[in-house]
Amino acid sequence: MAYEEIVVKKPLPLIALPCLSVAAFLLFWEWIVVSGTVPSVLLAPPSQVFTVFMDKLGNPNPDGAILAVHAWTSLQEAFIGYSLSLLVGIPLGLAMGWFRIVEGLIRPIFELIRPIPPIAWIPLTVFWFGIGLTGKVFIIWIAGIVPCVINSYVGVRMTQPTLIQMARTYGATDWQIFHQLCIPSALPMVFGALQIALAYCWTNLVGAELLASDTGLGYLITMGGRLGRPDIVVLGMVCVGISGAILGFIIDCVERRLLAGIRR
Amino acid sequence: MGGSSIANETVGVSSGREGITFYQIITNTYLLYTVSLISFFLVWDRVAAWQVFGDSLARPHIVALKLYDLTQIKFAGTNLGGHIWASTQRVLIGFSLASFFAVPLGLFMALNRYANAIVKPIFDLFKPMPPIAWVSISILWFGVGEFSKIFIISIGTFVPCLLNSYNGIRLIEPELYDVIKVLGGSRKDEVVQVSFPASFPAIFAGLQISLSVAWTCLLAAELMNARDGMGFLIKRGMDTHQPSLVLGGMILIALMAWLSSLLISLMERKLCPWKRSIDNL
Repeated sequence: MAYEEIVVKKPLPLIALPCLSVAAFLLFWEWIVVSGTVPSVLLAPPSQVFTVFMDKLGNPNPDGAILAVHAWTSLQEAFIGYSLSLLVGIPLGLAMGWFRIVEGLIRPIFELIRPIPPIAWIPLTVFWFGIGLTGKVFIIWIAGIVPCVINSYVGVRMTQPTLIQMARTYGATDWQIFHQLCIPSALPMVFGALQIALAYCWTNLVGAELLASDTGLGYLITMGGRLGRPDIVVLGMVCVGISGAILGFIIDCVERRLLAGIRR
Repeated sequence: MGGSSIANETVGVSSGREGITFYQIITNTYLLYTVSLISFFLVWDRVAAWQVFGDSLARPHIVALKLYDLTQIKFAGTNLGGHIWASTQRVLIGFSLASFFAVPLGLFMALNRYANAIVKPIFDLFKPMPPIAWVSISILWFGVGEFSKIFIISIGTFVPCLLNSYNGIRLIEPELYDVIKVLGGSRKDEVVQVSFPASFPAIFAGLQISLSVAWTCLLAAELMNARDGMGFLIKRGMDTHQPSLVLGGMILIALMAWLSSLLISLMERKLCPWKRSIDNL
């Protein structure tokens, strides 16, 4: 079957307005600092942030490491913590959705730990693991595991009862129904968790680095604040935002590839 | 394998008639919950008592005693209630401020594509930036006082509030609009009768997310710099190496986060009763 593609023409202002608004925003930002409306000790204009960015690519001063090292540290921590939370969270959530014993044993503990904001764990992890990699991986793991468990659990629970009954009628065992019916039907929900968990991990990574760290993008922001260098603070924020957006984009591509056969 | 999985819930009528088997007893939900909770606290107590983490984990009853002590004495100028109120106040102000502006803006963006074309790109620039990253700059701008904390909470809660109210209208089923058009409704009827009520559940979902973000931001702000509040208790516990104080602060903040999200769900149940069927998943 061939469909004729319907092209809806956007009116010109709708195409031009977004570009104009971003340009206006950047110009306004530049202008309020250059004109002195906002003193330059409080905010750095975009041009200066760009200069600092070029400088930080090769210059370890004043915070002790070049930009690539900070970014690499953050990415490394995020990657390990995120993968661990997927590895533990998804199977746990799937099992909680299907097996009553697992649900009964894990759920109360999960509900106790869930409302604690992950960055509240920072002091304990500093006591336990110091300010190195392990502590931050632990915090990111705690942050990422919650959406993984919840989404996988709900995914299994949302399996159509009709399908389960049909499988039972045909004599499928519990285990067969679980891994041939419930897991595939939970997959879209599980993949939904990938994005949410990534956002959680990234936010809490920055929090962990702000408070207990000696390298990383969050540390760059803290140092900028302590040194009274708004250009470095803004640079750190921009880097965190951009790398978060890139990671999100990668996960989105992976998700699309994996879900290629499944209708959402 | 009777009753070991949710497969039996779908055919639950017949499985109840076989009499109580050993398997049904050990899969009883309440029994499992009790076992789970008891073993959780037991493991916590043993790990602390055997000093697996040195002296850096307090036993549960010591944490409880610590919290009780704090209600009796003044710690850093105020007792436990004062600290809880200081934090709650910040969350309340920041959260209401942000939702007051974000929800209408999100709705307006979804209803007017020109407003959307102007605001959305700027908003997209800020979206991937974690709210906690604003902590340093807000201290730079507003000092260490109350306002910088409220600012961070507002920034953090603004994003999910706006996004959800925007999507709430975007994802309304087009059939609903068709119905109101067939019935002869005007554009105003469409907005008031369909768009607003249909976006309520999404708005409330946004408020729930915002609230949990708000507590996280509050904690980050208070850990960085504060003279009172629950984050301050945790930070003080960290600086003076008192695991009982840290754990007490964690428990309090979890309790408050849980209570506030309960409050939002109650409000939601009052304001949009038609959503209940989705809740009971």
